[in-house]
Amino acid sequence: MDPKKACFPAKGSETTRGGSGARLAPRLGILVALLALPSAALAAANVVTVKGKASGTAKLMNPAWNEAKDPKSHRFTFREPSLTVRQDVRNLTGYLPKELCIVAMVPDGKGPAPKVPLRVTIAGGRTSPVTLVVAEGQQIQFENLDHFPHKLYDVGAKGFAVAETQGGKSRSWTPPGPGKYEIRDQTTPSLRSWIVVEPRTVGVGYPDRKGDFAIDLEPGKYKLRGYFNGAPVGTELEVVVTPFPGEQPLKAPLLVGDNAPSTGG
Amino acid sequence: MLLSRFWYGILAITLGVSVFILFVAVQMYNRTGKAAMSDSLSSDSSAVDWFLRDDARRRSSALINIALSPEVSAGLAKASGDAKIDDDTRSKTGAALRKLGEESEIKFDHLIAVDAGGRVVAMWGFERSRKEVEAWELGGYASVADALHGWIRDDAWVWKGSILRVVTRPVEKEAGGEPIGAIIGAKIVDDTFAREVTKRTGAAIAFFADGARVASGAPEGFYKSSLDEITRDLKHLDTNKDYQEKGRSEVRVIGEHLGVVYARLPGEAWDLGAGYAVGRVAVSVNSPLDVLNRADKSDQESVTSSKTVIFVILGALLVAGIGLFLTYLEYTKPLAAFRREAERLAKGEIDMLQPSHFRGAYKKIAADLNDGIEKVAVKGGAPRKAADLEQVLGPIPAQPRMSAFSVPGPGGTPPDSASRPSFPRPPVSDRGPPRLRNSGPGAPSADSGEQVRFSDFQMPAVNESGRAAAPISEEPAKARPQPPPPPKRPPPPGAAAAALPQEVAPVAEASFVAALPADDSFDEVEDWRRVYEEFVAVKRQCGEPTAPLTFERFKGTLQRNKDALVARHNCARVKFTVYIKEGKAALKASPVK
Repeated sequence: MDPKKACFPAKGSETTRGGSGARLAPRLGILVALLALPSAALAAANVVTVKGKASGTAKLMNPAWNEAKDPKSHRFTFREPSLTVRQDVRNLTGYLPKELCIVAMVPDGKGPAPKVPLRVTIAGGRTSPVTLVVAEGQQIQFENLDHFPHKLYDVGAKGFAVAETQGGKSRSWTPPGPGKYEIRDQTTPSLRSWIVVEPRTVGVGYPDRKGDFAIDLEPGKYKLRGYFNGAPVGTELEVVVTPFPGEQPLKAPLLVGDNAPSTGG
Repeated sequence: MLLSRFWYGILAITLGVSVFILFVAVQMYNRTGKAAMSDSLSSDSSAVDWFLRDDARRRSSALINIALSPEVSAGLAKASGDAKIDDDTRSKTGAALRKLGEESEIKFDHLIAVDAGGRVVAMWGFERSRKEVEAWELGGYASVADALHGWIRDDAWVWKGSILRVVTRPVEKEAGGEPIGAIIGAKIVDDTFAREVTKRTGAAIAFFADGARVASGAPEGFYKSSLDEITRDLKHLDTNKDYQEKGRSEVRVIGEHLGVVYARLPGEAWDLGAGYAVGRVAVSVNSPLDVLNRADKSDQESVTSSKTVIFVILGALLVAGIGLFLTYLEYTKPLAAFRREAERLAKGEIDMLQPSHFRGAYKKIAADLNDGIEKVAVKGGAPRKAADLEQVLGPIPAQPRMSAFSVPGPGGTPPDSASRPSFPRPPVSDRGPPRLRNSGPGAPSADSGEQVRFSDFQMPAVNESGRAAAPISEEPAKARPQPPPPPKRPPPPGAAAAALPQEVAPVAEASFVAALPADDSFDEVEDWRRVYEEFVAVKRQCGEPTAPLTFERFKGTLQRNKDALVARHNCARVKFTVYIKEGKAALKASPVK
């Protein structure tokens, strides 16, 4: 089964960055072609691109990195700032294209049942994406892009047991039910990922480094919510998607930083 | 014999104490060696820690040139702005990395350039396919994320059982801006690196990860097998509280002499159980003899050049000298004397050994030999030659005044005593005082209580051989062709002493004297009184007490001696003569035919 790239926004640079990788290059080509289709084609498919901006992202701190900067964690022998870098940049904020998941949910009931597995890659000390919100019954395929094995497992032993995934190989898992699953790796301490099973989920998108995001949705009423470190952050934003036009910018930003954990930087 | 035995005892005790002290010294030495090893291990571990810190900083500094490279900066800036990194950017950045990596004074095994999103733009020293590189990123590592947020730091990664010491540095397009990427420099911890650590710190070191040794280095003299022992000991680290909590174990002693301190490597490797072990072998000896094996030339030279060796040699010579002296005194010398006497006996110069001339066991041997000789003689052995009277009785004046020796022979001149046959009596036996030999069947037996003793009074031994020396006629000797009677067992030493008063001078039996002219007017009592007075006078002359000595007691003693001699020699009477022996008054009894 082909992995679905719905974990990344269908538009924008972050799609390629955090997505399927080299093995999906042919599919990405198809995707690019689809994106180039006129809006009429989208309208015919009843898919509207909703564009928005997440605000308050500066308060979204990556927990793994901020724990690592504590000298008590023994992660370095020296750590000092580069004097030529702006001070505000030195805050270890999360990498939004992989860590902030914008979720579109139906107000009531459940979203459509997922049909294809979602692909999550493992490389460079993290998974891509880091936080993933899926509908119930969604199968997830973990693909190891590193050249050495990883041993992923879920904290709390909720069904994702420790197993070794060799470099270039993949491993599938379907979360057993609604809830939050924290994924870790026995071979890479910095790897911390979250999978949230939200039955109302109909689509997700990831912003770029500036917070701009886009989600393809069918016309209807939705609630947008940011998820960071496996937990909802900010406030829900109700949106109404109309059949036209094909791209519909949100009038208000999606607030994601109000109740985000502030771990400093 | 006693001295040498005592000396042997002293030597044995000294040797035992010395060996004990040596073993105690070995234990003390080993304990001190282990304490020194512990201190050295702590120092070594700290030295390695400081070396790794310094090495990380130097490598971080070495990245400055790369981070400031315009080619690298331009490539990363372009990659960060593109959704897909084009091949031209990758190749140009890669070429710049290769050039800078090769020119760097501090060599890296890997140089990786990542864009602002953590995607790998180019790398050097890493063999991965192009597709793999395009899909690869490193932004999840805390050290890379730190660099992309403007921090410079080090890290340690564990990839497939290998340890990588990593330094990261941000790459900026302009001062005060955001990083457009980062440079990652990695050094694989291998044997070369470990040997470099050993060279710089002097410590034996083993890096380990995933429960196995990945690299090691050791100075000369450190056995490689000890590193294997460290590997086998790694499984115990899971339960080592200090190692788990503080990141450094206490000194662990593996086997008998190998000390090890384990330390965790800062970085991601810390949580992955990777670290390094510093080992040292305690200077120890297995036994006192092993000290000689462990000592090198300088040790031996320092000892031989000091005064200690002189004292040791002198002490050894002294001990040996004392031992040899005692051996000579107690064994060699008595043996030589015995040998000389035995040779004389073999040559016929003497007929009997004189136990009084010997010491220790030789005295008993001589007495036993004499007994044996006498028994042989009783059984019809060869006749003996005359004994040397002077040897038996001591110095004899050429012309004794009041003794039987002065009696001239038939020719007016005393015959040569040496030419006379005689039946010498054995000298003093080691088993007891000399005994009066019963020369005939009518002689008193030991059981009858009539036996007369001459040596109970510590008198010079009197031997019947004196007969040969005495100037008497041949008749008595010829008249006694029969061999001497067998010796009697001596009575208890105290019995004779109790029988005779100590004040009375002992009486020595002398040889026969020539038959005196018949003299019916001879008054024996008067003669004995004269002898008594003479004896008392001589005692006074010699400074001996005379008060307890009464004539009656003196007379009793003479009577008993006379009776014994008469019974034994069947003589008419006995003539007693006073003389001085060794500064004391003494009596000689001479049978008169």
